[in-house]
Amino acid sequence: MTDPFSTAAGWLQEQVLLPLLYGIGLMQWEEVAFGWALFACYGMAQVVLTFAVCLPLERWRPVEHWPDAKAVWVDVLYTVISRVGLLPLVTFVLFYQLQVGMTGWLADHGYVAPTLERLVPALLGHHLLTFFIYAVVLDFAEYWRHRLSHRFAWWWALHSLHHAQRQMTFWSDDRNHLLDEVIGFVWFMAIGLLIGIPPLQFPLLVLLLRFLESLSHANARVSFGWLGERLLISPRYHRAHHGVLAAGQRSANYGAILPWWDMLFRTADFDRAYVQTGDPSAEEAMATGTYVQQQAAGLRRMARMAGWIAPVPRG
Amino acid sequence: MRSILFVLVALSILQGRPADAEPIAIVVNSGDATLSLLNMAGTELRRVPVLREPHHLTLSPDKSELLVGDAGGNEMLFLDPRTGAIRRRVPMADPYHLGFSPDARWLVVTGLARNQVDVYDAARMTLVHRFPARSMPSHLAFAPDSSVAYVTLQGINQLAAYDLKRRVLLWSVEVGPTPAGVIWHNGRLLVANMGSDHFAVVDPTDGRVERRVRTGRGSHQLFPSPDGATLWVNNRVDGTTVALDPRTYEVRRTYRVPGGPDCIDFAPDGTLWITQRFIQKVGVLDPVSGTLRSFPVGRSPHGVFLTANLP
Repeated sequence: MTDPFSTAAGWLQEQVLLPLLYGIGLMQWEEVAFGWALFACYGMAQVVLTFAVCLPLERWRPVEHWPDAKAVWVDVLYTVISRVGLLPLVTFVLFYQLQVGMTGWLADHGYVAPTLERLVPALLGHHLLTFFIYAVVLDFAEYWRHRLSHRFAWWWALHSLHHAQRQMTFWSDDRNHLLDEVIGFVWFMAIGLLIGIPPLQFPLLVLLLRFLESLSHANARVSFGWLGERLLISPRYHRAHHGVLAAGQRSANYGAILPWWDMLFRTADFDRAYVQTGDPSAEEAMATGTYVQQQAAGLRRMARMAGWIAPVPRG
Repeated sequence: MRSILFVLVALSILQGRPADAEPIAIVVNSGDATLSLLNMAGTELRRVPVLREPHHLTLSPDKSELLVGDAGGNEMLFLDPRTGAIRRRVPMADPYHLGFSPDARWLVVTGLARNQVDVYDAARMTLVHRFPARSMPSHLAFAPDSSVAYVTLQGINQLAAYDLKRRVLLWSVEVGPTPAGVIWHNGRLLVANMGSDHFAVVDPTDGRVERRVRTGRGSHQLFPSPDGATLWVNNRVDGTTVALDPRTYEVRRTYRVPGGPDCIDFAPDGTLWITQRFIQKVGVLDPVSGTLRSFPVGRSPHGVFLTANLP
């Protein structure tokens, strides 16, 4: 069985990337380029899949109706940059270089980096089981990355760009400050290097996680029921995290896919339902500005919270 | 949830039935960490999961084991060469390309990602020396007397010669853009320069390029036929496989092999089994008729081995 993403990536590699690399004298990167092509094709497919699933849901059972949804278009731009452009580039250029450097350094010191299968030999040959264990481990890591991004003032300043959106839709998942994205990637890279996730399996995990994350941002009255909400994070559950009362350094419902970590560390809130979203303390530019204005406002807020520039006087 | 279903379906093909003792083809799928076992009619019988990112393989000198290097997983797999069954796994840092010296004393392994060339005692499988390599050591070849290993350094366009007895770098010389495959042939080294359209004929004493032979864009790897009558070259960018006269290097015929042709093994019936990296297929080329039949395997198939050639 040939999967359509690999077929598309193969076409991209053979017809576009190989002639390009050959033409500019960078053929040594042809295998990395193929990895990038795969990631980009998965990303493109995921945008389409998310659109196809979430848009009808939002039309069917919207939480909010807006007379003007212009603010959503910036989120669409965020999604395309993140999933088809920036995300694959960062993963297959930066991640590859970091991985090579770190594992090479370890090998020079007589240590071959472990993998989950080598730590638990019973997993050898059981790709499917290993895949899901990796997914759970990465989700746990994402819970703590997200929780810490609320905890530290400078980090919250960057992450608040994600919370500033008052018209939250499934496009809002990728509405992040670039610096926050870089921190997130470094976080996942470190986890990946510790438990040996290679680049070609890493993107599939990330894309699966992020499809469900997109769904959880949908402007839709969708709940998974009492039991379902305790197994997977629903739009209802995650909306409580984006509520105006939850914006800030003390929040709830930090989980990305599994609510288990919120339940375990007592940060789960199953009661608040379909609240109004946004961050009242954020600059207006972070909510309704252009892409560049939002990025600049995020940097300004970080500088203020870190004490590098004076705070804005309140009238 | 459709993503999850897709993953379930995609991974379910990893489960298969054991191969029988009939001649099979073993294809190393570097992109999805599996080995495809096919019968000689091209039907995939089974996929064997490995760890991370296997690339190349080589037969042990006594032909009792087939070694597959899992570069991304940092381990060497030892297979039953007739069935493809994994017998044992040995942790090894970044085994990308590998080969036994003709005297069977050394196993030399290039670590493309880690910029190292490792020399193992072939009998004990213990590391005896590590040569630091400047950038992306790729393929390797040996001098017939086993005294020297030659390694292409893709990142700096050079070919390096390592003295295996004194354990020193003899020379490292520019041979052309992005050198990949290298073989010893008629007292010379032939180096396929993937960033160009030719292979270089190199003097093994000092690395001097004596001649360049045009084959096609992305000249990647060279394979002499078992009877020595033909020299085959795969061109990655043009998507062609070229048959040359092994003495004059005159191009006899060019075959269209799409999908980034990479490694070759030769079947007893005269056909060539060629991995097509970017279209997840292995092609079977009949050099007489020029017919190419391609069969689905895993993602990014790289090394290929036909058990029919075993004694």
